[in-house]
Amino acid sequence: MKNPLAKAGILLVGMYVFLKFILPQFTAPLPASLIFLYLALTFAASTIFFTMSGAGLEDFMGPVGRFLTGEGQSGIAGTARILVFLVFPLLVGWQTYTKLAPSDAPPAENRTIHPAPPGEFVGLANPFPKTQDNIMMGKGLYAAFCSPCHGANFDGKGPAAPGFNPPPANFSDPGTIAQLQEAYLFWRIKKGGVGLPIEGMPWKSAMPRWEFELPDDWIWKIIMGEYDGAHQSPRTWEEEEEE
Amino acid sequence: MRRERFLGVALGTFLIAIGLGASWSVASDQPPEGKIASVAVRLYLTEGSLPTDDPNAASWNAIQPSEFNLAPQVHWPDRIQEVTVKTVKVRGMHNGQDLAVMVEYEDPTESPADAAALEFMVGDQKAHFAHGQEMIQVEGGPVNIWYWKKADGKGTDMSAKGFKTIRAQDQQDVSATGVWQGGTWRVVFSRPLATGDEHDVQITPGEWRSIAFAFWDGELVDGEAREKGSQKAVSSWWSVRAEPTPDNSMYGYVVLGIAIAAGFEFFLVRKIRRGNHA
Repeated sequence: MKNPLAKAGILLVGMYVFLKFILPQFTAPLPASLIFLYLALTFAASTIFFTMSGAGLEDFMGPVGRFLTGEGQSGIAGTARILVFLVFPLLVGWQTYTKLAPSDAPPAENRTIHPAPPGEFVGLANPFPKTQDNIMMGKGLYAAFCSPCHGANFDGKGPAAPGFNPPPANFSDPGTIAQLQEAYLFWRIKKGGVGLPIEGMPWKSAMPRWEFELPDDWIWKIIMGEYDGAHQSPRTWEEEEEE
Repeated sequence: MRRERFLGVALGTFLIAIGLGASWSVASDQPPEGKIASVAVRLYLTEGSLPTDDPNAASWNAIQPSEFNLAPQVHWPDRIQEVTVKTVKVRGMHNGQDLAVMVEYEDPTESPADAAALEFMVGDQKAHFAHGQEMIQVEGGPVNIWYWKKADGKGTDMSAKGFKTIRAQDQQDVSATGVWQGGTWRVVFSRPLATGDEHDVQITPGEWRSIAFAFWDGELVDGEAREKGSQKAVSSWWSVRAEPTPDNSMYGYVVLGIAIAAGFEFFLVRKIRRGNHA
């Protein structure tokens, strides 16, 4: 395979197959925009590489030039040439259309799920020892006040959950309370959805502002019951120091 | 030499354009699957009068509804743990002057205290879906609520900003009518798109607004309505938009794009041919 143009083509197809089909075997599938970026980079790089020298330029561009001018072409090559000339403007037209066509989708909202808590809630420690009694009481309070949304199994699938947007947090998911300190949960339970900063979109959250109904002691015990029931541990200062 | 360099650049540009177009088209993401619930209500643009008085009009059935899940109101007291209305189908249309929104939901019994409501944010300020209640870190705005109750036989245009602040507005702009048939309510709310009342949501075709829903099953149980006041089925915010009038100018740009691309091809080939013959 001497022709640099063919080499560049094979490289590009190979790169696409690798990014789209082989890489996802080992990691999460790549978003289209990233695949596009990589393909564009591969294409630009191979074009520059193969056209660095004068001879390379002729090898690379020569066939393209002959293809475009149609010199000495007949049969399939001639048909392909006409197709390329037809497809390119249509592709440009299609791109223009998709960029301009009005979208039926509402504007995307980037809601921050765990925004920073206010200063007064940072570093608070649970004042209750982790005894079986405290955990049991916490679980009882959880069942009464939290389970309708967050679920009896701590999985965010309570009977009231399907109606809300955003959905109630799933505590058994390692991405929720396992990433947070007890003080963070204390803030979120006490101040509720309306306590969120603007990036948390407080206007959408159905989480009650429990400080009006539950004493702090109950909230701390609920937190204890929540971690125990969801089989998660809070993130602590000690762990971070070890890291 | 100079000509060669020019040809190289021109050809390279052409190849890059084709390459980018091709990689863009192979790289497109598939739409996510398995999403049942909707995220938005679309008010379809129609001509002529809207079927505001007839929830069973054929033109309603021609519209593909959006569907939203509802939850028992557990956000603030008095809460409720179990509600009758679990989902709602929403259809909408407008004619450039007026709009109509029809909600369709299941309720096995027809009762005078059965009720339905639409809620909107007013203006640019974000408002909490629970009656625009106070938010701690964000300055919130008011909500506009369109309320219908079977016993009233009409719609009421209301405002709220915080709990216990809900009241009927001085300027009433909302009409509503409901029909119950075989366990299903169909309630149509209607209003002019623009009302000139600062307490109202103003609907501008092409612009997104926020909408939420609430329903009450007024069936009498031991002499009291099963659901009343804050005990109701609710949703949080979703989006709504009145369809804009189609903008045909974009087809002009599409034609222009095609013409520029074709012109580029023509001059490119001509240049290469001249270069070869030089």
